[in-house]
Amino acid sequence: MSHGLNIYKADGSLGFSTLDITWMQIDQFTVAANASVSNSYPEVTGMTVIAQIQMINDPPESQEAYAPEVTISGTTVSVAPYTGKTSEQVIIMVLAQD
Amino acid sequence: MSYGFSAINTSGQVIISDEMENLHFLGKATLTGNDGGSDNVYGSDGRIIFTYTITTSATPLVFIKPADYNRWHAVMTQSNSGSNWTFDVIVSGTSSSNPPELFCFVNANNATGTSETHGLVVWKADGTTRTFDSRYNPLAISGGGNLAPATCPCNDGCPTTTSGHPWNYNTLDHDFGTSNQYNSQAISGTYTNLMFSAPSLAQAVYKRQAEGYKCSSHPSWQGGCQQHWSTAMWWMMYRNGFRIRNGYFDAGWITYASGYSFSSNHESGGWFGGGGGGYSTGSMPYTAKTINQTSNAYMTADSTRYG
Repeated sequence: MSHGLNIYKADGSLGFSTLDITWMQIDQFTVAANASVSNSYPEVTGMTVIAQIQMINDPPESQEAYAPEVTISGTTVSVAPYTGKTSEQVIIMVLAQD
Repeated sequence: MSYGFSAINTSGQVIISDEMENLHFLGKATLTGNDGGSDNVYGSDGRIIFTYTITTSATPLVFIKPADYNRWHAVMTQSNSGSNWTFDVIVSGTSSSNPPELFCFVNANNATGTSETHGLVVWKADGTTRTFDSRYNPLAISGGGNLAPATCPCNDGCPTTTSGHPWNYNTLDHDFGTSNQYNSQAISGTYTNLMFSAPSLAQAVYKRQAEGYKCSSHPSWQGGCQQHWSTAMWWMMYRNGFRIRNGYFDAGWITYASGYSFSSNHESGGWFGGGGGGYSTGSMPYTAKTINQTSNAYMTADSTRYG
């Protein structure tokens, strides 16, 4: 490349480069069943934010296992049960890309 | 910024910063076993659940690297006891051969154990928290998007008769299999090198039901019988799964569990009537439907960068 940053390993192989694309990890937290959480991240202003949801428990074979609703509004990530529904315990991973 | 460090890629995106943390390769989770494919009944495509573990004080972000790209995969559960993390990965089919690999990524400060001597490390302003450390193979993605699975997991569509067919009805109104029920997005890269990270949230239950009167009799009843209103129902439970194939990322379904229920109410009264009563066994997990069917962000990455 004519400009940019290449970071090499000791063996001369390329480890990371400004040709790469990535997502930054902003936060990760666990949300209890039926709980609501709202967190703000001013550092992601102007960035694209996604939240990956991971179920913690096996799906029961005796009832619905609803994931909570995740809402991203600007720099705020909110997690809450859908209206009228319960929600399972989940892990939330907040990622941002410039 | 007035001080600090940031690297901007050729698309103008900040990819290294002293304020935000990159994800770094922690290692591959250790395969500890599988469940032997229990619950594979009633002609489903089958599934097997592989269990993996890894130790870290951080919450790892997991990528699945399929060994067999014809199979569907998903991280079904991720849980921890202290720093010991366990992952249950559901894979379509019944073979315990070719389990996928799980590549785990954590923030730089929780990446440990490298013997690499060259590279670049970026710290936060506190001087102790690493945001980037090239010695631990920072995550670089090759693609991604937002995708939801098809609404109905059943091949040929969901059953249109939900209340039950008469006994001896011999037309198959839907298939419990899932092979042609998925949504796709185009992806780039040599697909046999790709791994993916995608939340598996959607699940569904659908059933096949028959019901009606049957009579039971005894020779001494001289042609009379006792009527029974009976309902037999077979159900299949599904979980959202994913597949990488040449040029595409697919969000579809994997059969998870199955079962049946049967109930019968016995006639009472009348010339040949019996004494009434009834019998039932088994139940569906919940009323037939698809839940959690939302569009979720997924990422793909080249696994060859991480050994």
